[in-house]
Amino acid sequence: MNPNFQTPPAAIVYASGERPVFKPGDAIRIRERKPVGHYRVPTYLRGKKGVVERVIEPAAVDNEEEGFGRNAGSRRHYYRLALPMTEIWPDYVGSPNDGLHVEVFETWIERI
Amino acid sequence: MTELHSDHDHAHAPEDAGLGYYDIMETAVRELLISKGYFSADEIRRQLEVLDSRSPALGARVVAKAWTDPEFRRRLLADGRKACEEEFAISFYDDTQLIVLENTEKVHNLIVCTLCSCYPRPVLGLPPDWYKLKPYRARAVSNPRSVLAEFGTHLPEDVEVRVHDSTAMVRYLVLPRRPEGTESYTEDALATLVTRDTMIGVIPARLDGSQP
Amino acid sequence: MSDTRQLVERLPTDMGGQPADAIQRIEHAMAPWEKRCHALADVLDFHKIINTEEKRCGVEALGTEMVNKLSYYERWIVAFVNILFRKEILTPTELALKMQEVETARRQHESEPPRTHV
Repeated sequence: MNPNFQTPPAAIVYASGERPVFKPGDAIRIRERKPVGHYRVPTYLRGKKGVVERVIEPAAVDNEEEGFGRNAGSRRHYYRLALPMTEIWPDYVGSPNDGLHVEVFETWIERI
Repeated sequence: MTELHSDHDHAHAPEDAGLGYYDIMETAVRELLISKGYFSADEIRRQLEVLDSRSPALGARVVAKAWTDPEFRRRLLADGRKACEEEFAISFYDDTQLIVLENTEKVHNLIVCTLCSCYPRPVLGLPPDWYKLKPYRARAVSNPRSVLAEFGTHLPEDVEVRVHDSTAMVRYLVLPRRPEGTESYTEDALATLVTRDTMIGVIPARLDGSQP
Repeated sequence: MSDTRQLVERLPTDMGGQPADAIQRIEHAMAPWEKRCHALADVLDFHKIINTEEKRCGVEALGTEMVNKLSYYERWIVAFVNILFRKEILTPTELALKMQEVETARRQHESEPPRTHV
């Protein structure tokens, strides 16, 4: 660091997609999108609500794009989401305490 | 070098002779790609050795150490890949992460890949067929308790059965609970109680060691 | 009203929550070619000639009938072949010729009398 530096640096601005959009504890919903062809969000989870359990670092390639040969670039975050089983299955047979955790790419999640 | 079967002096199925359609296809693809310089035969040979070297014995050592060493357990739960790399030199391919899931009085973990067959291969080797087939993949996420029951595992209602569906680059390993009555066991002895199925989460670790 | 929509919207490999039978504790020993196929997949992924996600996508693209009728590694090798053709790394003709060559060589080897020393 140059001791003669006079002007303080401007506030850091982050590139689009660089920083996680969600944080642990955020209430979210998995989007209802219905892609034709390849996808990595199972049908049974579409439109289901839950909570962000953790942000997975570092940002990574979208695995849906990876399926078509993208090996680098356009990195965003995955999140581990926690969903109650009773939220996923209306007729869930088991304990109301039971849950499911799944990693989902940022572009599949919306805040509620 | 292909593994050709020789010295047979009895009749056998075409598949055994390496005459299966897909067997021939695999060999043709591999030989063509090697001849075009995409990779070498040595790489394939080496990768076969890598696959042979990964088995549930690795995961069992990780679990046994976590049972006996609270500091290692803490590190393992904080970053599974890092702890395995540093303590046991277990390598992981690509950007794969390992999240180790601690079974407790309150939570019992179960792993599945509904879309394909993602599995913690670096520490467990290759998955059993049943893990890759529809009955397990379909029902583990919708009725996990019935799946557990098929393996002889029954949990009270106040325990959360928590299912982990691997869909991206995180892989999971269940850290089963240490069985009662093992206080005097060495780490090696403890490792013998930790079988593949305890680390998938379909059964708890037991003293009688009767599970596969 | 098209009831084929389900076939398009839901991948044949997307099984979570589907009705299914009891689990059969099948554990077959891998055939040598299956292990070689797995090693091939790992080497292809290492070089990103075909990455693991491309392989999955390729398996899905086989369609419902093949996904249901081909075994696990059979699906992989056929998926690889399709992808290698699409990427123009191999052509169908050269693969067909090579497969004939491999098969002929193996049949010939099989018909030779067993050797007592290798």
